[in-house]
Amino acid sequence: MKRVAYYKGCLASLSAKELDSSTQALAPKVGLDLVELETVTCCGAGDIHEAEPDYYLHLNARILAYAEAAGCDELLTVCNVCTLNLRQANWQLKNDDGLRERVSNNLERVGVPPYSGNVEVRHLLWEIAEGEGYELLKQSAHKGLKGLKIAPFYGCQILRPSKLLGFEDPDRPWSLERIIEACGGTAIDYPAKVKCCGFPIIQAREETALGELIQPIEQAKEAGADAIVTPCPLCHLSLDAWQSKLKAATGKDFAMPILHLSQLVGVAAGLEESELKFKRHVVPVTPVLEKLEV
Amino acid sequence: MHTDLAPAPGSTTIEIALKIWRYDAVTGDKELKRYEVEAPDWVTLLDVLDIIKDKHDGTLAYRKSCRMMICGSCGMRMDGAAVLACKTRMYDIAKSGHVPVISAMGNLPVRKDLVVDMEPFWDKIRRMKPWLDPGYEEPPEKEWRVSQEKMNVIHKEALCIMCGCCVSECNSMESDPEFFGPAALAKGMRFVGDARDQANVTRLEDYNDEHGIWDCTRCYFCNERCPKGVDPRDAIAKLGAESIKEGIDHDMGAKHAKWFVTSAKTTGWLRETELVPKTQGIVEAIKQTKFAIGLLKRGKVPPPIPPHVAERVNESRRLYSLVKEQGRDGALGIVQGEHALGRIEFTEQAGVKTSDPEVQPGVEPPPAEG
Repeated sequence: MKRVAYYKGCLASLSAKELDSSTQALAPKVGLDLVELETVTCCGAGDIHEAEPDYYLHLNARILAYAEAAGCDELLTVCNVCTLNLRQANWQLKNDDGLRERVSNNLERVGVPPYSGNVEVRHLLWEIAEGEGYELLKQSAHKGLKGLKIAPFYGCQILRPSKLLGFEDPDRPWSLERIIEACGGTAIDYPAKVKCCGFPIIQAREETALGELIQPIEQAKEAGADAIVTPCPLCHLSLDAWQSKLKAATGKDFAMPILHLSQLVGVAAGLEESELKFKRHVVPVTPVLEKLEV
Repeated sequence: MHTDLAPAPGSTTIEIALKIWRYDAVTGDKELKRYEVEAPDWVTLLDVLDIIKDKHDGTLAYRKSCRMMICGSCGMRMDGAAVLACKTRMYDIAKSGHVPVISAMGNLPVRKDLVVDMEPFWDKIRRMKPWLDPGYEEPPEKEWRVSQEKMNVIHKEALCIMCGCCVSECNSMESDPEFFGPAALAKGMRFVGDARDQANVTRLEDYNDEHGIWDCTRCYFCNERCPKGVDPRDAIAKLGAESIKEGIDHDMGAKHAKWFVTSAKTTGWLRETELVPKTQGIVEAIKQTKFAIGLLKRGKVPPPIPPHVAERVNESRRLYSLVKEQGRDGALGIVQGEHALGRIEFTEQAGVKTSDPEVQPGVEPPPAEG
């Protein structure tokens, strides 16, 4: 088992508890021993980076410092936005000794352990798309998705900027497709799978955001997808919860079920409803479960 | 002018195939045409287009000028991704057997083949008032000196060659064509962050337009596409940070961002349920009641009481105070590897006088000596 610090972030702690419960249940099946961090805070979601950038850097350094203090050299994330925010701060701190010294001193002054720059931030997607995680995934996904047509939706901040993320080609990603196939599903291809869901501006600029949101849902529907899967709870929230607003704005009822990555793999690995918590979705997942005879 | 791309003695040639979306805005004719050329193995996409135009099809339209990544004329899409044709080497692509599809940039009207109408792009650049406003009328006798440290803040923004690659795939602009976009906003930051400019507050108020700073959806396509490393999304974040520093926070985007700060220093975690009224105001939030009830039924609206409080959240509060004391507010707090620029810091040893007075925006420099 690989021991990793687990950073669940705001959404999996509150409105997307199904992401947390399915991740926790799935982790041992894919070789991950999750060490939950008790003292950490929000990563700032890009918003603190834009409002108070120096504070953003310190908050993320504090998260990294507690992961390091827990004896972990890896911090596992389950959210695109957390992944980019933490990796960006980590890149800044690792590559600038002077900056790291200033931030570390500040951390110590308020009672946080210093950060020496030895933690890697990795998303669950990357853990199970290759290496040992992928081998274990193939073994545990024995219940299979029975050829279900799944549209992978990557979202932005797990692909771009690739300088900070860099796991795969941001224009031709393959990880979600590989996982879908390993679980016995059929991956659907469509252009908007690497585009934005609109979530960061869904409250401040709803119309602009909905113009983005409709693209993946409409294209996945046209390509015959039974469901969309995403590695990001923010994408999940906009794709799932805001579908009703798309319906109000366009008159189109897509009724497209949206799955978290951990739920998709979890279904194939035979997790229970108490762990998958599909009842917490706004768009019913029932048609998918019926096809799978779960 | 004839372009002679005959291989130099001793060099080798390769077979290159590509498909080009041909288009004529006058007739509306559109066709994906395949071309195959023999070319020296060092050619760029632009060289291949030159060969096609010279030897195969003189009707092909595209823009070019410098051929060396500085004029910004030859932005176009290869397999849907905006590139500078002159920066894109063809060897690996041709050797892999892949036949790339070349098309005009996105988010701009196509006139012919690979030529887009740049006028909407220039309109947005002009909208930024892209010239220095030093705050005095007459050109001074003597210049103010600006330290390297002060210029580091806008080092990246100053690299922009206005090719339009960042705009091509901007997801916000696809949805809101009036969005100022990454190129214009990066240009705006280039002036807001310039120590010699004193119009930063007026500029920020203007850039806080409905289609300005807070209309960016953070898709990061601009950072990914920029061939010069400008990182326009980071420039937009700098404008957001500068706006909030100057108290220009009336936009819902700014209020949204500020609520994350409040959350982090009070409970540590995002106070999700309060985010909507804090962003949109109570009246708008009440209009969302029906939508919110739908979410509430599914547990998507966590009750604000009792709040979800991080352990040792006092550390997060104290960090905030400490950071504010250190005063790296606004764009200064956005780190982009500026320490690497330290090596080009001017020094006495390099023969540059450092005793000259430093720039003070809005204040005329002293008269020239002698």
